[in-house]
Amino acid sequence: MNLLQRFEVWVSLLVILICLVFLWESWDLPPGSFEPLGSGPVPQATAFIVIFCAGLVIFKALRKPVQLSEDEEAKERPSISAGLIISFATVIYTLMLHFRLMPFAWMTTLFLIITIWSLEKFEKKKILPALITAIVIGFASEYLFTEVFIVDLPT
Amino acid sequence: MDIELLFAAAGQILNPWPFFLLFIGTSLGILVGAIPGMTGAMLIALTLPLTFYMDPFNAIVLLVAMYVGAISGGLITATLLRMPGTPAAVMTTFDGYPMARSGKPGRALGLGITASFIGGLIAWITLATITKPLSIFATKFGPFEYFTLIMMAMVLIASVSEGSLAKGLISGLLGMLISMPGVDPATGMPRLTFDWYMLNGGLKLLPVLIGVFAVSQIIKDALDIGQVPERIAMSSKGMLMSAKDFMAQGVNLIRSSLIGTWVGILPGIGASIGSVIAYTAAKNMSKTPEKFGTGSEEGIVASEAANNATVGGALIPLIAMGIPGSVIDAILIGALMIHSIQPGPTLFLTNADIVWGMIAACLLANVLMWLLMTSSVKYIAGLMYLPRSFVLPIVMVFCVIGSFALNNTMFDVWVMLIFGVMGFLMECAKIPLGPFVIGFVLAPLAEEKLRSGLMMTAGDFSPIFTRPLPLFFTILAVILLLWPIVGDWMRKRRASQK
Repeated sequence: MNLLQRFEVWVSLLVILICLVFLWESWDLPPGSFEPLGSGPVPQATAFIVIFCAGLVIFKALRKPVQLSEDEEAKERPSISAGLIISFATVIYTLMLHFRLMPFAWMTTLFLIITIWSLEKFEKKKILPALITAIVIGFASEYLFTEVFIVDLPT
Repeated sequence: MDIELLFAAAGQILNPWPFFLLFIGTSLGILVGAIPGMTGAMLIALTLPLTFYMDPFNAIVLLVAMYVGAISGGLITATLLRMPGTPAAVMTTFDGYPMARSGKPGRALGLGITASFIGGLIAWITLATITKPLSIFATKFGPFEYFTLIMMAMVLIASVSEGSLAKGLISGLLGMLISMPGVDPATGMPRLTFDWYMLNGGLKLLPVLIGVFAVSQIIKDALDIGQVPERIAMSSKGMLMSAKDFMAQGVNLIRSSLIGTWVGILPGIGASIGSVIAYTAAKNMSKTPEKFGTGSEEGIVASEAANNATVGGALIPLIAMGIPGSVIDAILIGALMIHSIQPGPTLFLTNADIVWGMIAACLLANVLMWLLMTSSVKYIAGLMYLPRSFVLPIVMVFCVIGSFALNNTMFDVWVMLIFGVMGFLMECAKIPLGPFVIGFVLAPLAEEKLRSGLMMTAGDFSPIFTRPLPLFFTILAVILLLWPIVGDWMRKRRASQK
């Protein structure tokens, strides 16, 4: 199986899992009292159709697996380090915001400088532009949103 | 068409503050369209929280201007980088890029910009003339008409989405399912909340939207961060179309604009499909089809006229029936709801100023787009080379702010991140994201209409098959559902006969 087919199978399985969780939760919903349908049938019917479609996608992927050569596989596979950096940094940043460990502007500055510099593969000549960008965006965004747009920030 | 109301709305937009918003909206839309990986849906979703405290009229002007600008801006990267700035500009890459590489970037961009303007103009004429009659017709819709229309729209979206019909259905119906936790629309009781009080109010559109469209795109772009685009020397030579060009391209312009408008009216299909159909039609009708894909002027004109025409076209079902014609229209529906405005057939009665404001903004944004892009495309083109390592984390910060600002709760930020990962995984499996968002927006309406219809008939489903419009929509949905399967079977049969 090539990368796309592997993704098709795993994502479809994830979708089926989500639907099963919804089905489980909807099973105990009471029947309608003043209306014939009740709360359960619509989500249940939707979940069943999604499971059926996801099953079809899995069946199609497994029925005709396409085997790629090592070179083609390498071409298909993107560099995941940058994706992991930005995902991981965002989760840490959100956690810090969640627990209000620092003022928003400082936390944003820290998140930006670490993420930008990591994505630039820690090149020394990039640290200054990253630092300036991070400070400007971090503090300017706090000022802009709280003072101009009057939007609350997690700070 | 209520000329007085249209002029009144246009006059209101030409006041300093609304005009400033129109200018900012169109400019930002063009800029975002010109940055690969950033889309109009992303921009509008991130701007939505800023409109909470705005007057609804001004908010809609800003968002519609962004919509028009973003669809147009995509042609810059499509032409100069062979990377469509927005999915709508995919077909423009086929001829725009070869023409730009052959030393005529100004000509390629000029054709695209003017075609975008004409496409937008023709769609706007349709929008201004047929929306009100259509909304009057839609007031005759009962719950079963609405329910079957939404179901038909979902099948239509799924059947024309990238990937397979099954994937389109997974996306649309999963979006519907995800929208169901919270308060039951019929009984008012909480359901599917997993005994978690945070889910009592349901999942809000904005964090889901920012996650699915913005966060997933950021992760996707981060994976391609190493790719360095090839630079094309930019010049403005040949930017303006001459009378001779108009004569040569007139039929193509009108045909592609009408195709784009029609595709826009069909719920949930969007600009990319519109430009594909118009491009194919232009190629089939061309005297020189062999030039398509090598820098054909007809190809650029067809693609750009059609994708801009879908904007005006897609606003028609939104205003007349409350059905989104595209992903961005789904966001606009969310924007209207945030401002306590119920989209649908009665919008002309309850909020005529908003409706005509939307229609006037569509026209003025088109004019402004043409002026801005013609005069400054040379400078906008420089944006394409912004380092992504700087852009992506900054956009992520705005995603966090946008999600938090909705209810001042970190729960929405986590929802955004979860849907970002989910959107990214769906993209990896080539499951289209558009149907997901449209399903999320339409599900409460579909369920509410079905259940209120069944309340009226004491649980009898037969009106779906005995009333003319529900029957028509149901038959159409079944045909759309079977079409890819039958087509596949016929292709295989023909292949085996050969």
